[in-house]
Amino acid sequence: MLPTPKFSNLDFDKVYEPAEDTFLLLDCFEGQIQYLNTQFGPGSTPVITEIGTGSGVVTTFVCQHVFPYGIVLSTDINPHACLAFMDTVTENSIVNPTVDTLQMSLTSGIRPNAIDVLIFNPPYVPAEEVPQIPESLQDSKWLDLALSGGEDGMEVTWILLHQLDHILSKKVGIAYILFCARNKPEEVANYMRQQGWIVDVVIHRKAGWEVLSILRFKRNES
Amino acid sequence: MKFLTTNFVKCAIKTCDSSIDAFPLQYTECELVQQEQDYNPEFIVHMLERIQWDALISVARDLGNDGLPANKPEGLDAIIEDDQAILKDLHTLLLETHIVNGKMTCKHCNHVYHIKNSIPNFLLPPHLA
Repeated sequence: MLPTPKFSNLDFDKVYEPAEDTFLLLDCFEGQIQYLNTQFGPGSTPVITEIGTGSGVVTTFVCQHVFPYGIVLSTDINPHACLAFMDTVTENSIVNPTVDTLQMSLTSGIRPNAIDVLIFNPPYVPAEEVPQIPESLQDSKWLDLALSGGEDGMEVTWILLHQLDHILSKKVGIAYILFCARNKPEEVANYMRQQGWIVDVVIHRKAGWEVLSILRFKRNES
Repeated sequence: MKFLTTNFVKCAIKTCDSSIDAFPLQYTECELVQQEQDYNPEFIVHMLERIQWDALISVARDLGNDGLPANKPEGLDAIIEDDQAILKDLHTLLLETHIVNGKMTCKHCNHVYHIKNSIPNFLLPPHLA
C-alpha cells in the first residue's frame, strides 16, 4: 500500500479533515495507476484538477504516485483550503513541474475542455440547502461548504455533471466523483449513460454508517 | 501562481464563455518572483502540446516580455543545442516565474480578479455568480 501524504499543520476548524472519503479516493487512485498510464502514456503531462481539494491530500497523492508530470490546477471555494493545499504540497516536497491552487467555484475560472483528469469529492451530505459563500475570511462557516450538498446531497454534484462535457478535454477527459448511498449513485450513473457517458464504479466501501463509492465518467466514443 | 497557469484560466462569468475576449485575461500590477525549479526538457516538450501559444504571447507581453517567437516552436528536441536554448527560456518563463500578487481583467466584461499570496481568486460576488 502506498503511503498517505503528510498533513500535520492544518486547522481542521477551517479545512475539511481527511476522513474515510478522502482515504477511499487515495485507494481508488492507487488502483487506477495502471489504467491511467494506459490512457495517457508514461511521462505524459495531462491537466489534472481536483475540485474542492481541501487539505490537498488527494491531489498530493496523485502527484506523487500517478502523474509526476501532470499540470496540476486544483480548486477550492474556501480560501483557507487554498492555503492548506500549499502547506500540504510543501510538506510532502512535491516536485511536479507545476502545481497551483485556484480559489473558485467548481471549475468556473478554468478554460473549457482543458481538463484531462477531474477529481471531485463533493459536499454530498443531504441538507436543507447548500450554504451561502461567507463574506469574510474570519467567518466560521467556510467548512460547511465542504459538507452540505442540499437535496439528496446532490445539488452541487448535479451542477458539475451537467457541465461535464464542457469541462473535460475532448479526446481523453476522465472524471472521478465520489458518492454516498443517499446520493442514489445508480440513478445518477444510469442518467449519465443515457447522456452518452461510460460510467464505472471503480471502488465501493462501507465506511462507518456511510456507504461510499467512486464513479468514473468517460465519453462514449463509439 | 505559475506563469503556465495563466494559459488555463479565464473569466469565471458564464456569459463571457462565448466571447473570445474572456481568455486570456489581461495581467496588470503584477509582482513576479523567480523560483528555481528542476529543469526537465522532456516535460516542456510534452507540455507545449497543451499550450495555446497566442494566449502565452499575450500574457508575456502584459508582463513586459516581448521575446517569445510568433509561432509555437514545433518538434523541439532536447539534444539539439538551439532547441535547448528555447526550452530553457520556456522553462524559466512558464515554470520558474510566479505571479505573487496582481490583477487579472476580463477583456470582455472588464471584471477584475485578484492574485494574492500566489493564489488567484475567481470567486464572484452573488449578483454575478
